[in-house]
Amino acid sequence: MSDINQETPNMISGIDAMRGVGQTRAKGFWADAWGRVLKRNGARFGLLWIGLIAFFAIFAPLIANSHPWMIEQIGANGEVTSRSWPLLANLTATDWLLLLGVFVGAPWILLGPRSLTRSQRTGMFVVAAIQAGVIVVLVPTLIEWSSESSRAPWLKEMARGNNGGWPIAAVISLGVACVAAWIPSIDSLWTRVASALAVAAISGSISVTAGGATLINFERYMDNEAAGKIRCVWAPIPWSPLYTRSDMVAAPPGAMVEELPNLESWKGTPFGKRISIMGTDALGGDVLAQMLWACRLSISIGLVSTGLSVLIGVTIGAIMGYFGGWIDLLLFRIVEIFMAVPVLFLLIVAAGVLPRNTYMMMAIIGMFSWTGAARFTRAEFMKLRKQEFVQAAQAVGLPLRAILFRHMLPNGVTPVLVDASFSIAAAISIEATLSYLGLGPDGQASWGKLLSSATASTGTFVWWLAVFPGLAIFLSVLSYNMLGEALRDAIDPKLRKAAH
Amino acid sequence: MVTYLVRRSLLMIPTLLGITLMVFMLLALAPGGIGASMQAAGGQGNTTGIAQQQAYLEDRYGLSEPVIVQYAKWLSSISPIKFGTRDLRMASGERVSVPRPIPAPSLPQVFAPPAMPAVVFTPSADESQIAEFKALQRDAEGARRTYVGSVRLFRDALADVARAVGAPLVGRLDGKGGAKANEFGDVLTVLDAAQAQAVKDAASTTGAVNMADAKNNSDASAATSRVEQLARARVKLFDAAKSMDTKWALAEETRQRATIAFMAGPYPKSGFPVIPNVVSLDTSDFGVAFSKNRPVWDLIIEALPVTLLINLIAFPISYFIAVPTGVIASVRRGSWFDTLTGVLYLSLYSIPTVLAGVFAIGFLANNQYLGLFPVSGMHDTTADTMAFLPSTNDAGVYKCGWLLDVVWHIALPVLCLTYGSFAILSKQTRASMLDNLSADYVRTAKAKGVARNDVVVRHVFRNSLLPLITMFVGIFPAMLGGSVVVERIFSVPGMGSLVLDAISNNDRDLILADVLMIAAVNVFALLLADILYAVADPRVSYE
Amino acid sequence: MADIHASLQARADGKVLTKPVLEVADLAVSFDNASNPGAPRIQAVAGVSMSVFPQQTLAVVGESGCGKSVTALSTMQLVPSPPGRVDRGTILLEGTDLLSLSEQQMLSVRGGRVAMIFQEPMTSLNPVYTIGDQILEAILLHQKVTVEEAIERAIDSLETVGIYNRLKERFKSDAMALKRGKSELLDEYPHRFSGGMRQRVMIAMALVCQPTVLLADEPTTALDVTIQAQILELLRDLQRSRGMAIMLITHNLGVVAENADVVCVMYGGRVVEYAQVFELFDRPMHPYTRGLFSSIPGLQHRLRRLTTVEEVTGNPAEFRKLPGAERGVIPWWPGLPKEARPPLESEREPYCLHEIEPGRWIGCWRTPELATQGSRRPELAYRRDS
Repeated sequence: MSDINQETPNMISGIDAMRGVGQTRAKGFWADAWGRVLKRNGARFGLLWIGLIAFFAIFAPLIANSHPWMIEQIGANGEVTSRSWPLLANLTATDWLLLLGVFVGAPWILLGPRSLTRSQRTGMFVVAAIQAGVIVVLVPTLIEWSSESSRAPWLKEMARGNNGGWPIAAVISLGVACVAAWIPSIDSLWTRVASALAVAAISGSISVTAGGATLINFERYMDNEAAGKIRCVWAPIPWSPLYTRSDMVAAPPGAMVEELPNLESWKGTPFGKRISIMGTDALGGDVLAQMLWACRLSISIGLVSTGLSVLIGVTIGAIMGYFGGWIDLLLFRIVEIFMAVPVLFLLIVAAGVLPRNTYMMMAIIGMFSWTGAARFTRAEFMKLRKQEFVQAAQAVGLPLRAILFRHMLPNGVTPVLVDASFSIAAAISIEATLSYLGLGPDGQASWGKLLSSATASTGTFVWWLAVFPGLAIFLSVLSYNMLGEALRDAIDPKLRKAAH
Repeated sequence: MVTYLVRRSLLMIPTLLGITLMVFMLLALAPGGIGASMQAAGGQGNTTGIAQQQAYLEDRYGLSEPVIVQYAKWLSSISPIKFGTRDLRMASGERVSVPRPIPAPSLPQVFAPPAMPAVVFTPSADESQIAEFKALQRDAEGARRTYVGSVRLFRDALADVARAVGAPLVGRLDGKGGAKANEFGDVLTVLDAAQAQAVKDAASTTGAVNMADAKNNSDASAATSRVEQLARARVKLFDAAKSMDTKWALAEETRQRATIAFMAGPYPKSGFPVIPNVVSLDTSDFGVAFSKNRPVWDLIIEALPVTLLINLIAFPISYFIAVPTGVIASVRRGSWFDTLTGVLYLSLYSIPTVLAGVFAIGFLANNQYLGLFPVSGMHDTTADTMAFLPSTNDAGVYKCGWLLDVVWHIALPVLCLTYGSFAILSKQTRASMLDNLSADYVRTAKAKGVARNDVVVRHVFRNSLLPLITMFVGIFPAMLGGSVVVERIFSVPGMGSLVLDAISNNDRDLILADVLMIAAVNVFALLLADILYAVADPRVSYE
Repeated sequence: MADIHASLQARADGKVLTKPVLEVADLAVSFDNASNPGAPRIQAVAGVSMSVFPQQTLAVVGESGCGKSVTALSTMQLVPSPPGRVDRGTILLEGTDLLSLSEQQMLSVRGGRVAMIFQEPMTSLNPVYTIGDQILEAILLHQKVTVEEAIERAIDSLETVGIYNRLKERFKSDAMALKRGKSELLDEYPHRFSGGMRQRVMIAMALVCQPTVLLADEPTTALDVTIQAQILELLRDLQRSRGMAIMLITHNLGVVAENADVVCVMYGGRVVEYAQVFELFDRPMHPYTRGLFSSIPGLQHRLRRLTTVEEVTGNPAEFRKLPGAERGVIPWWPGLPKEARPPLESEREPYCLHEIEPGRWIGCWRTPELATQGSRRPELAYRRDS
């Protein structure tokens, strides 16, 4: 039909349109969807904000810390006698791992071996990141658990003996490495094993050796500095979220330390010249430092809890949708139970009675919000089960695992993935809510916790404790929602049609 | 339709049971189980006092039993089908159960308890009967409490003995260092033997004291102190046993009196007998909330209407705002209105309720800033004296009246519950309107000569209503959940505040009842949505 | 040939069939390319002319996307706008140009003087209203009657399309029950009806206001073959009893042969051949029409395989078979190689409709000679004897 285009270059007939004249060549499904997402301003803004949060989640310990970057001991004659690096010495295993992950992971994905495609490299990196994360979380927890007095002597020996936790770290790291090597991120088994072992060695040793004492006397830096014994190179924001001063409660934004009541004695010292950019909270901790450190909780709680809920939901939903019958009937009763009660009620009860730490909170949010993913997957699988390609796969005699995960899942998981973005937003919102209600993780900077101290029991309203964390929560939730909406519009063909 | 309703209502029961089971298990999952959390809430005092308090709570809630047994007991108490003797119901509606049997003292074969004489007691029949009845019940409960506490002290004494004796007794202690009395039937024999051995040891070592040997000296003093330790433990054990026995006698006696008084029954019997004295029907008993010292049901009855009120106001408001804007957005697809509402609603959707609440109370209600709204509660303190409607009094001063006062108080809570669902509802309305606008029957209607606006209203909108009813399922639970936060922020005494209080006090019965009632309301609302759907869509039939 | 003369005579008589009720002249409609905003506009209809006489059935045939449905929808002014747009042309209904009417005036035309039935009976009725409601809506919009009268008319209308046949069998003796059954049927929802019954309801709804023209857009495509026959039979009977003109849009040539008086073959938004039905089936002239007919499987074919449309239209020699080919009367075909085309009058408008013999129009390349003749709106007042 090339001729008709030559005659009327900007017109084609209906028959040509039916035959596909004038259509552009199709891209891959996800590439196409991603391209559409990136065309939306809202989605671009969302990605930008999430990137910013991720940046601070990784670099917050270097940016906002009450440990000085470097200390120079001043001798009697004013000469520098020695140097030390307290900030680096006090980085925790998680801090080290994140920094390492960024500086190794990004080049690996961008510049790794050309024999692997970018998505394979990304897959390997994601598996390695999850492996390292699990090791770094599990090792200290288990060392602590095993060194409690009521444990068996051999356990205590392993945790507290001369080996200082190394045996436990080794066992855990190797165990996790086995699982990681089993996940088929790329085809070559040996590469997988090598990478898993390398990651295990690095993260295992980091989790045993890294510093990070919890009770620190920050005052001695300031005292010594004021006394002229040391010279400090401070981080850009010289406050830690855990550093609270009872003489600095609820200082307004932009307050200089020496201008605060009770703190005139610091006049003229470096500490006296410090500014609390966003003010301090009801305990006397710096708000900006807490805001930055809380990015980590915000990012991780959304990703981990949603990952968990998608994992549970897709598995259960796939089983329900594929098998149907009494399995479906039985499992759907469980889904119904979760639907029958407002999830926030369950979350509040769970968060109220279970230990208050970050991992527990991720776990309960994940465990109580999988029903959406399960329902989507179930509906998709019920549709797919009747389709010819699935029946063909069954007729060929493929094993169930291959039918479910290789043939059906990629076709049925789209609505779940679209929904996941909204789930992340919801998880952030839930975290803020629980923290506000005082059910959040202990000892962890959190936007919700800051928000809750805005309306203190005294009845006064501290605006900077509401506005800054409130804005951060709002923008994060909004970012994920806009991303989710852009993704949904890009993927859902019905909505796409309706949008025109 | 009726059969469908009955079937659905019956299906609600397992769902609700599942929820309570889940919450029960959750409470049991707490470190140390339900018992630990409840005991932690037991109160302060000296260690003996705490132990006794723990013992009392354990006895009252049956905490020493397995979780599933505890759950079964809780279920049977809320079940309308009751077994055994019927309760009495006081004029106030409070119910009195027959005094529970008291467990016999431990190790009766070792520390023989006194024989109980048969209690002869005639309850008075005049107007003092009720006062006497109440006193007897109270005494019985008090005596039981003391007895249970003394049982705990006895077991502690047993454990002390075991620790003093060492092997073989110390091996019988459980993980927390407590003693299970029934495993200590031979305690006196072992103790006697141990004491005899200790005396012998002491005698053999004292002979060498004069040798001025340091090692021998310390051995000798150790042997002597062991003798003393054993003797002390023995005295303590016998004291505890004696105290336990006397307390038991007292408790048993008061219980028998109370039972006789109960049988005489100054109050009418509660419920309706199916098989007399075996099975009866009665209202559910949700127990007493120990943290508030009031029946759980009373608390629920006070809180539930408050929560329902703010939700039932917020719910229609969100529909009335979101649906018309969604309709307009779909009809003027791509216009500035469409874009604006889309962005605005998504932003509103992204404001967590807690954030809106804090901002509202901070900037709108707090006197530091605008101070336009009250910061807490449902009523003004003077609400009792207000007339229902606004009025002006004789002096011409305007009074806002009870109704307006309530509206003024719940305005912010309702606002915080409303805005979040705009986005979902309006987007759904828009999408289904667009779907239906391109439907074949719309073309038919246009071909019939129906005007454009009539097509939108009569044909498109009517069909787009159906998914909006389905949205109910997602929005109502979210709103109920949101009301927990809103109630906390604005100090509204609803179900959310109640459950938060209950959680901070680990009040098991209150948590369970609260969650159960919220779930019941929610399930009922979903059922309502189903019925509405059947009414709105002729294609659905529940025959 | 005898038929042709008869029809021409009829036209000359001016007695039986005087003037067309519906005349479409040089209609052009285009659409935005929705899935791809940068792409060229889709010219769905590019200058179509046709006319329908009272009691006549004009069959419009062609493959998907050739513009036949858009022509019908433009007549009702139901082309969604945007993305659709009428570029030029006139549509005269008994002398009034429908395209110049306001939306308000169109409302009385739609469903009143021109009615339309659609391909999908399953989805063309609103699922949440009873069929009674939907028929009453049509009556009350166009006729000043009370609700009771409207109900009467609705029942009458359903009666004529044979909805009650089964009911009548059931209540043969009981007139009261039959009457009650009839009005109860009005309270039924569409999902309780089968596809054929729903199409009957659609027809009843379309005909209840006595339209002069009925546009039937593939009314039987979605139906069973047996039901198809019943519906077409019904349409024919109704046409006869009411003197209504029908524009029957279909791609089923069997339906055309059975029902049409005049056939208009369309391709690429243009009319390629326009003739009386028997003439066309006997002697298809445009290569596309010939290709169309040769691709119908039939017992008379002794060939090993059927000839496809492309085989006919792909052969430039086929285009020289037309009488007058030596004068440059070459059938229009967008896929014809440049060298096989005659010299055109203008590159911008390469097409014209040429009456190649009395009562037979062919879409031809617009040579200077044909351009001076002018492109006349085809008008063929033939009606087959029934």
